Amino acid sequence: MSTEIAISVANLEKRFSDKVAVDSVNFEVKRGEVFGFLGPNGAGKTTTIKMLTTLIPPSGGSASILDYDLRTQARRIREKIGVVQQQDSFDQGLKVEKCMDIYGLIWDMPANERRKRITELVERFGMDEFRKKQTIDLSAGQRRRLQVAREFMHDMDLLFLDEPTVGLDPIARRSVLNYFKEKVEKEGLTIFFTTHILEEAEYLCQRIAIINHGKIIEIDSPENLKRRFGRAKAVEFKLSEGMSAQLSTELERSDSITKIVQDQENGSYKISTLKPELVIPEVYRISDRLGLHISSIYVSETTLEDAFVSLVGNSNEEIVRQGAQS
Amino acid sequence: MNTYVRLTYRNLRANLDFASLFFELIFPIFFIFVEGPGLGGLLKSGVPITPTLTVPYQLYLAAGAVTLTVINGGTNAGTQLWYDRKNGMFEQLLMGPFSRAQYIFSIILATLIIGIAGSLIVFLIALPILGGGIQITPEGVFFVGAALFLGTLLFGSFAIALSVVLRSSETFQIVSTFTFFVFLFTSSVFYPASQAPPIIKQVSYGNPLTWTTDMFRAGLFQSFTSTLTIEVIVLTIVAGIVFGIAVIAFRRIRVS
Repeated sequence: MSTEIAISVANLEKRFSDKVAVDSVNFEVKRGEVFGFLGPNGAGKTTTIKMLTTLIPPSGGSASILDYDLRTQARRIREKIGVVQQQDSFDQGLKVEKCMDIYGLIWDMPANERRKRITELVERFGMDEFRKKQTIDLSAGQRRRLQVAREFMHDMDLLFLDEPTVGLDPIARRSVLNYFKEKVEKEGLTIFFTTHILEEAEYLCQRIAIINHGKIIEIDSPENLKRRFGRAKAVEFKLSEGMSAQLSTELERSDSITKIVQDQENGSYKISTLKPELVIPEVYRISDRLGLHISSIYVSETTLEDAFVSLVGNSNEEIVRQGAQS
Repeated sequence: MNTYVRLTYRNLRANLDFASLFFELIFPIFFIFVEGPGLGGLLKSGVPITPTLTVPYQLYLAAGAVTLTVINGGTNAGTQLWYDRKNGMFEQLLMGPFSRAQYIFSIILATLIIGIAGSLIVFLIALPILGGGIQITPEGVFFVGAALFLGTLLFGSFAIALSVVLRSSETFQIVSTFTFFVFLFTSSVFYPASQAPPIIKQVSYGNPLTWTTDMFRAGLFQSFTSTLTIEVIVLTIVAGIVFGIAVIAFRRIRVS
């Protein structure tokens, strides 16, 4: 009987010689959930995916994927998952449609089902104009669309997406993300998702794990991550008179202002603060005193990127501190 | 549909370079119809296959040229693997519902199909030249079939092992071309080993392509010698060992 947990990972580890790529990570992903796995380059995201998709064996710990043991039931796991790799993957000697057809065939999908899916996927992924082209002649973006679409030529319970939208234009990207969302909502697909585009993670994921130097440093919903770690909001404003060095100097003395950044090109100021309700009157007061006029002012909300930068930054500082102590 | 059939079909469709295949067929045909008749004029007395059987050089070379297709087909195995590694399909397939063993067997099966089909095509094209000299017997068909099967298995496995060890497709192409060039010119494809200078003779007697070619010629011309059974046994054992090495090497490919 299947449980409600799609992925359960306990103390999973991967070492390459003396380097620890994934350091005893623990997490669970529920069925039907989109789980984001974010981290800076080299944090251990792809290595974790390679272990969970049975491509490389773990050095330690255990994991259960769709109720199958990672170490002893790898083949059963592979029958139930789909994977879109970070790197390109295509059959170079085939045309787009044939490439999809043969991919469906190797997954043993019946011929009539393959034909049906090719028609649907070509339309959904906007591949009509290049459906008859050789894969070797496609642009990077077209090839990426094919790679993502091709994975839906077979049925699966769990889909691993390792930066699936790299190289896609914004319209194609949104269309692909919407397709993923639809699959989750209508068919209960579970998705394990990595990306460097944090808006994508926020758009798609119910929960997000942040990994740095092989360790998971936080797991929570995007909203909670922003609330807990995206501490500073930003007050952005412009002056009718352009930039003023004196205004900057005066503002920097204020206790409620954490940081002020001047965008010379745009002619605007950005103030990071925990209390925008105190900063805005302060900006007006100092501007009035200096005889300057504010042409626009607004508070920008904290983003997932703020939270991510803050979390990873703190984690890096912690590592440096531990290194210095030892 | 069976997993091996699906994967083999995929390998044949996705990784076959038809331009290379065309040239792999052209080379043997060139030897049969150009070099054979050209050198045949110099070697008017023919070439001895056994102490009691001598055939015209053109016929001798035509039979050798068919086995040349076997070695060419073998290089295809390594090329298939390299295409998959270069294009990210190697990892993709290993994350699919297959085992590594099924994947490597499917490459070997595709290579056997290419090698044997290529040999048959060349054989049929060479039939006008070979026609007068060959006799069809069950024993002969067995030796011809065994030569094509074991030769393709051996050289295909060798190419797979080579492609695993070498770190780029370009290096693989250079090294495999050079290695197969050595196999080819120190074998009995172009000349009888017994007539070669001592050192070349020794190398040729130890060359699996010589055993393959001798078996093939024996099947075609009913020229069964006392050493033929030993060659069949040794070729079977060596093909098995090289295949085993290829499987072990393949299983140890590190995923990047």
